[in-house]
Amino acid sequence: MGQRVRGISRVSYGWRIAATVLGVGLLLNGSLRMSDDLWPFGPMSQYAFSPAKDETIVITRVEGLLANGRRIDLPLRVESAGISRAEIEARIPQITADPSLLRSVTDGWTSRHPAELALLRVWLVQDQTRLVDGRVGPKRLVELATWELPS
Amino acid sequence: MRTLRSVASWFAPVRPESRVAILRTVLYLFVIIDIHLFVRDPIPLSRHPELYKPLLIERLFHLPPPSVPSTMALYLILMVGCLVAAANVLPRLAGGVVAAAFTWWTAIGMSYGKVDHDHLALVVALWVLPTVGVIADRWRSVERSAQAGWALKCIQISVIFTYFLSALTKIRSGGWSVTSWPESSILMWAIVRRPHGLGQFLLPYPELLHLMQWFSFTAELTAVVVLWLRGRALLAAAVFWMGFHVFTMAILYIHFAPTAICWLAFAPLERLGPWLRRVKARRRERAGRRSTRHPVPVLRDQAVDSGG
Repeated sequence: MGQRVRGISRVSYGWRIAATVLGVGLLLNGSLRMSDDLWPFGPMSQYAFSPAKDETIVITRVEGLLANGRRIDLPLRVESAGISRAEIEARIPQITADPSLLRSVTDGWTSRHPAELALLRVWLVQDQTRLVDGRVGPKRLVELATWELPS
Repeated sequence: MRTLRSVASWFAPVRPESRVAILRTVLYLFVIIDIHLFVRDPIPLSRHPELYKPLLIERLFHLPPPSVPSTMALYLILMVGCLVAAANVLPRLAGGVVAAAFTWWTAIGMSYGKVDHDHLALVVALWVLPTVGVIADRWRSVERSAQAGWALKCIQISVIFTYFLSALTKIRSGGWSVTSWPESSILMWAIVRRPHGLGQFLLPYPELLHLMQWFSFTAELTAVVVLWLRGRALLAAAVFWMGFHVFTMAILYIHFAPTAICWLAFAPLERLGPWLRRVKARRRERAGRRSTRHPVPVLRDQAVDSGG
């Protein structure tokens, strides 16, 4: 099978090879020199950094105070809050400067949990794990921002 | 002249068009899965314009900030476009629309702070697959072409470069040092942050994690070799990388499904059709034999098994 060969012109060969070389060049440039802003020609940066042996590893979370006084975790996943942890982590400086940005989490969570009691207050917190000589060391909980929901 | 010809035949080798037709079907259907399972947040994210930070590509093309109606429209365009393109109908038009819409969709998903790099091969595939144009007889095509070979080669290069470039990025981020990433606490960091996989059982063994880092880094750095492998060696490499993805999935809960699916660009998919037809013919033959083996009325007083 597969004996018939479709013809191809020199121009067709030419632009195809040029496009490949250009694409490979853009990709090399992205990974060797540029930032994520150049996606899809940016660096392959996922898990590409080198945490030190005494690195502090953080897990960013959002906790909420319900109307009955219960403090719960609002999981930062698309299906539970409409936004994921990575998006919130990328905006920590903006959120600490303006905690009302936590509305992105509370709105998403409230609309996906209509049966739950109202949220009164939310916290942006981090579980921090310190590495000691490359091994898991002490943990602590740190509060980064608090926001009272408008009633 | 001969060098020119061999360069051309490396970038655009003559390959069966049926392989492209089958790959189109698989990848366009995969895009439908992708927008539901992997890059599934553009619609909910579009409700938070205050968090939107457009990437260069979005600024360059003056793409409007995502809104609920625009992301819903993109979703519908992708659904319809993928179904049409998966059938190899209007391959240039439907394929072009899907390529543009999916690139925008994925860019939106990555414009809220987190940029992933597991979609490179799939995005490239969507842009090159339409260039092969109409494939006569689609999955049953008996034609071969350099146009098909070039599209497949681009996807293959993107798959391999996803690994190779990630090794280069690791060398760069470690201050241009080859040892800093493999000797770092990156896997420890990843497992602590994603404590759901099997990786938590490895936490007490940092030396083992370093060994795994050296192993994966070496594999990524040398992945380019795969572009020159053939036959069994290529099959072995494909099995190795599939195993690699299964392993990272098990210990870290990180899948690279959009890259893994594009490994099919290396596979002799064109054999699938003839193989299926052979299986069907054999089954029909066997069924035919069985039906003739049923007891048949005979003139004498004893039934006989005609097949016996």
